[in-house]
Amino acid sequence: MKISYNWLREMVETRLTPRDLATRLTMAGLAVDAVEAVGDDHVLEFDLTSNRPDCLSHLGVAREVAALEGIGLVRPSTNLAAVATKTIELTAVEVLSPELCPRYTARLIRGVRIGPSPEWLVRRLEALGQRSVNNVADITNYVMLETGQPLHAFDFHQLRGRRIVVRRAHVGEQMTTLDGELRDLTPEMLVIADAERAVAIGGIKGGEDSGISAETVDVLLEAASFVPGQIRQTSRALGLATEASYRFERGVDPLGVLDAADRACTLIVAIAGGEVLDVAIDVFPGEAALRAAENPIPFRAERYRALTGLSVDIGEASRILGMLGCRVLPGADGESLSAVAPTWRIDIRIEEDLIEEVARIAGYDLLQTTLPGSAGAGAYLAGEEDRRAIRRLLTNAGYHEAVSFSFVNVGLDALFSTVDESQRMLLLDPIDETQSHMRTTLLGGLFRALEHNFNHGSRNVRLFEIGKCFIGHEGEDGRPREVERLAIAATGARHELDWQNSSARLDFFDLKGVVESLNEALGLPPFGFRSIGVDSHHPALYPGRLYPGWLHPGRAAEILLGGRPVGQLGQLHPHIAGQGRMKQAVLLAEIDLAALLNSTRPESRYHPLPKFPAVVRDQAFLIETSVSCDSIISAVRDLNLPNLVDVRLFDIYAGRELPAGSHSLALTFIYRADDRTLTDEEVSAAQERIVACLRNAFNAELR
Amino acid sequence: MSERIDQLRAEFERDLAAVEAEAGATALRDRWVGRKSGVLTAEMKRLGGLAPEERRQVGQLLNELKTGIEAAIDRLSGEFAVRREAAQLAAERIDVTLPGRREVAGHLHPITLLRQRIEDIFVSMGYQIEDGPEIETEFYNFDALNIPANHPARSRQDTFYLSERLALRSQTSTVQIHAMQRREPPLRVIAPGRVFRRDTPDATHNPMFYQVEGLLVDRGITLGDLKGTIEEFVRRMFGPQTQIRFRPSYFPFVEPGAEIDYSCFKCGGSGCRVCKGSGWIEMGGSGMVHPNVLRGVGIDPEIFSGFAFGLGLDRLCALMYGLDDIRLLYENDIRFLAQFR
Repeated sequence: MKISYNWLREMVETRLTPRDLATRLTMAGLAVDAVEAVGDDHVLEFDLTSNRPDCLSHLGVAREVAALEGIGLVRPSTNLAAVATKTIELTAVEVLSPELCPRYTARLIRGVRIGPSPEWLVRRLEALGQRSVNNVADITNYVMLETGQPLHAFDFHQLRGRRIVVRRAHVGEQMTTLDGELRDLTPEMLVIADAERAVAIGGIKGGEDSGISAETVDVLLEAASFVPGQIRQTSRALGLATEASYRFERGVDPLGVLDAADRACTLIVAIAGGEVLDVAIDVFPGEAALRAAENPIPFRAERYRALTGLSVDIGEASRILGMLGCRVLPGADGESLSAVAPTWRIDIRIEEDLIEEVARIAGYDLLQTTLPGSAGAGAYLAGEEDRRAIRRLLTNAGYHEAVSFSFVNVGLDALFSTVDESQRMLLLDPIDETQSHMRTTLLGGLFRALEHNFNHGSRNVRLFEIGKCFIGHEGEDGRPREVERLAIAATGARHELDWQNSSARLDFFDLKGVVESLNEALGLPPFGFRSIGVDSHHPALYPGRLYPGWLHPGRAAEILLGGRPVGQLGQLHPHIAGQGRMKQAVLLAEIDLAALLNSTRPESRYHPLPKFPAVVRDQAFLIETSVSCDSIISAVRDLNLPNLVDVRLFDIYAGRELPAGSHSLALTFIYRADDRTLTDEEVSAAQERIVACLRNAFNAELR
Repeated sequence: MSERIDQLRAEFERDLAAVEAEAGATALRDRWVGRKSGVLTAEMKRLGGLAPEERRQVGQLLNELKTGIEAAIDRLSGEFAVRREAAQLAAERIDVTLPGRREVAGHLHPITLLRQRIEDIFVSMGYQIEDGPEIETEFYNFDALNIPANHPARSRQDTFYLSERLALRSQTSTVQIHAMQRREPPLRVIAPGRVFRRDTPDATHNPMFYQVEGLLVDRGITLGDLKGTIEEFVRRMFGPQTQIRFRPSYFPFVEPGAEIDYSCFKCGGSGCRVCKGSGWIEMGGSGMVHPNVLRGVGIDPEIFSGFAFGLGLDRLCALMYGLDDIRLLYENDIRFLAQFR
């Protein structure tokens, strides 16, 4: 909103320069964004908070300046000559919807000459960004900028029946507004009508064929109050926002209506000639409610001190509130008062509001800086230490942290999710129709990010995201479960910076290694991994669980913690990778973070260091490739050999000279006893048992 | 006889000077002092044929000559060994300017970097970090925050609704309500998180962004405590020289309310591009918790008072890192992400 410095000075003789005034007002809560020199004037551009519609005018801002500087306020003058004919003799006003229009006043001005506005008026309007139309229309605008009360001038002879009816629009009713648009109206909207038809949309815009024209001689001037909520809804529904609707939807003082009308009439007579009929028609159905709302609000010096930390002189508080238009009643103890807020201050309702008024006029810069006394130790969000450990681990492993929107494209999300359609939440009014569903997986966002990076020339991409997914409606009030997940995606070079190994590409086991190291970082027991690809997506094997179709069916694993599934890991299905034009292997993992954070950690316990040396045996077995490494190691472990402390894979060989469908697995066996050095015979005997076991169980041959 | 010795010495000097490689030094040793066929060894054997007096004299001369020859050969071999080792090491030379072998470092998202810094500061000041759902009921998102029934923020133009009752939270202030419902005062809460508003994306807007909400409720808390707390925070965040100022402002869930500005971390207040010449940067809204909000969660505003404040991380991020387009924050371009630490 724009305010002219010179115009302001007609009402309050500020001692401040335009720039100093802007700073003073900003520091008192009326934010001035810019000060611009226009001719011999300065225009102040305000960014007002929604609670201060009273300042959407020069009078409103002048009132603030007067209170801030403790100087007088000169209200715009009115001067109406006595006329024998009364308004009521020529026209009538009927308010059929008092719930939407608490007050409607009408004045008649007879014998005006419509013409261009005088230059001072044109200049003033133009300085504030308003276009001059004609003298009467300009005056209604001028008075609105001056007092904040929107006005509307009708050509009296275009009103059929010469009367005003304030009512809801009829079903199917239409009207062409001043901008030439034909508007479809509904019964939720308030119209100003004559005896036959709508002639204006109440508080928003006038009608085309009842407006002021060059031929207009007699003017009916409307000054009225409208209910903010209805104005907002109608303005939104019609896509029609005007200076009038802007003010009415925030709140205009119903008691300022007549003053504004009289001020406009004064200017019309002075500029366009004519005479103003005696006694305005004033239909004021909302008066009782307005008066009833005028309650004295208490103000205690003690409460002021309690909230601001500052002491206040009750006389000073009384003076400030009086300057702002409050009716102040002194308290009995000299340490309190009560105040009735002026009707233009819809934001003042309770004691805390009065406290803010006194504090801001006195100046927030008086506030001391104190620190509240200590009240216990601070604490991070539960699990934050683990989240930071995960972030550290992954960034050290070359993964960048991604952040994606919580809403996604449902098609993309469904590619990576087994969540049923009925378990999804969707936005009623998305900004982008294609991004309308709450995500049920983080993988969609990471896939999109991979595509983005590919399209911008990055082929080596490692990303992770920690965030919430939204599933179901079972919560209180139909809320979804908000599940915190960790997702990881990787593709491209295994060692991007290693000039000696530049051709190696990331594969399943690189990402699996990253997942495995999460346990180490969090102090969890090791994850288990179970194939969920070709050999296990049979419904009989996994009743009720769907095979994650976004993964390569031969390279997909379920991640288990304590035997319970907590996520999936695998290579992106080539079909999906192809959709993103990614020909190289893309690895994905998604893990339920809550399951990790909430699981119990084994405590660290000291084990005495071994006193006797270990005996290490390496042995290679020829075995069918369908036998999993896990099952072989489990079989060895299940033998419970007394001194076997560890067994692990150290090499896989699949040469052409080996039988088809077989490969060679080389295992290391470590034996040790706590009380002696083991003999060769003891170890060989154990090895023989292992060889026999693997031959029986898996048809494995020693190589 | 001494002529013979001089002759041998001269002959050896000639041989010695002719040696060019390490093998030559070994051959020289064999030829002169070798046990079997060494020249001096043969001369020594011949001593037996001399008279005792002469044998003693010549033997001494021969021994001196032998010691000298052995020392010369040792010296020569040593030199060859040193040269051999030096050549060996020279051959092992590498180009030390070749890149080291390591993983490309990953980076945390700039929002995480800022959030963690802010959390660290407030945890050290005795605050507890709290979290709340991203999907909220109208009660938590609006009613409990004293946002009037006809407030524009409630409209479907401004807020993302998922149903009649549920919406994406439009401010982290919702966590205030959860925290006050869960626990009795005194409480100190910091709630970082995602919030959503129906803004079309452009260089300065996204429909999703991050806020950090702060809340403190106790007996006798004043606006001065709020100002002191914010001052402490900005000084730890931006440096001890940072100034703050409070401007009256309006947020439905506080009264009195204040907008917080802090002196520009770039220019220190003299005016620059970061602060658009004003010397001040807007931090966010704050104020004393509105009595309606306190009463709504069963806290008596005559006994307890509190303050709340909020700040936007995305804007802070843009200012601190000099971002000219905040849409980059959620595109996850690794060329962008790799820039922050």
